[in-house]
Amino acid sequence: MVDNTEELIARTPEEFKSRLGIAVRTHHEVVQIDRSRQRVAVQGSGGTMWESYDELVIATGSVPIVPAWPGVDSDGIFTVKTLENGRAIRDYIEQYHPRHAVVVGAGYIGLEMAENLRHLGIETTILEQNGQVMPTMDADMAEFVSDALKGLGVRVHLQEEVVGFEVYRGRVQAVQTRHGSVPGDLVVLGLGVRPQTTLAQEAGIPLGVKNAIRVTPYLMTEVPHVWAVGDATQTLHQVTGLPSYVALATVANKQGRIAGMNLSGASIAFPGVLGTAITRVGSTEVARTGLTLAEASAAGIQAIETRIQAETKLGYFEDVSPMTVKIVAEVSSGRILGGQIVGGSGSGKRIDTIATAVSAKMTATQVVDLDLAYAPPFSDVWDPVQIAARTLVSKI
Amino acid sequence: MSKRIVVIGGDGAGMSAASQAKRRDPSLDIIAFEKGAIVSYSA
Repeated sequence: MVDNTEELIARTPEEFKSRLGIAVRTHHEVVQIDRSRQRVAVQGSGGTMWESYDELVIATGSVPIVPAWPGVDSDGIFTVKTLENGRAIRDYIEQYHPRHAVVVGAGYIGLEMAENLRHLGIETTILEQNGQVMPTMDADMAEFVSDALKGLGVRVHLQEEVVGFEVYRGRVQAVQTRHGSVPGDLVVLGLGVRPQTTLAQEAGIPLGVKNAIRVTPYLMTEVPHVWAVGDATQTLHQVTGLPSYVALATVANKQGRIAGMNLSGASIAFPGVLGTAITRVGSTEVARTGLTLAEASAAGIQAIETRIQAETKLGYFEDVSPMTVKIVAEVSSGRILGGQIVGGSGSGKRIDTIATAVSAKMTATQVVDLDLAYAPPFSDVWDPVQIAARTLVSKI
Repeated sequence: MSKRIVVIGGDGAGMSAASQAKRRDPSLDIIAFEKGAIVSYSA
């Protein structure tokens, strides 16, 4: 956690105006898109006004998923998306000094919140509906993440379905599940996000997967002069070519850049996503990219996987730690389809080698042949990713 | 008259699009509307 939230803000509205010449109106909500007359209705403190456009960019983002559980709007139950959410949780902790926190959902946000709450000395329990933490990873890899959480003193309850909350005088006291009750005077919901596309939908702009806005690779919607970028949009998976929904800042910023170039005369396509992601639980780094074996099968691709154990650097260093690498490849071509990494410091960012290989449609053999950096403080002579690729080559 | 671009949403995606377009074509007239208090943070 950073100490001062001001440190997180990239630019102020004034900076956008003075440095870039872009007008920014905060506290102004667009409430309607009139596509036939190419104008939007904007609600601000002075009332509602029409603003006309030659080109419109919809970047309405996403909102946290909040199931309609009874009592879910009680005090002490939070989502985590914006800086304001983070400040609200911090203020609640300072005011009420909660003793038991419950984090619902064991994805990236849930894990990060659990670690931070535990760090503040609050007893913390994670409730996850699936049979494993990190549902975007394989169960055997997620097992290491579970161990890391337990190492931090975080309790992990799997296959735990939330049904409601115990509330006293408007404030949450416990989370009720199918199995019983878990004490929690602070509850954080980490159940992912959904695209915020009501405005687009009302304007008749076609939506796709999870109600995300359908866009061409050039990031135009199916309505003339209307573009869409970021968490509000549907994108294509680079490996399967299927529509998918990935709400990540990396994707949002890349799409924004490309749409901006196309709005100023270029004609550049966004290549799609691999679902590359990384996080850290305590000192354990966790990363994934591309397809798992199960995802490959679901997409009709005959694939094979290999899992190896290696070390982050040469064994005589005091801070050497184990790392596990899994790689998935197509059987017929040997093409790398995806991978997962869990391990100590220095292991996680190696996922980028695998992500690059997937993007470049490289085979396992080509990864073995890569000229990667080596010196004892960083790696063994064979990088762990290449050890996994070698194993895969021998299997195919 | 210069081309007018309206951006709905002042987070990373919208402001990246606005910044990139304006940098490449300074003649564009770009305005972004954000319903909240904050634009383009790094979280």
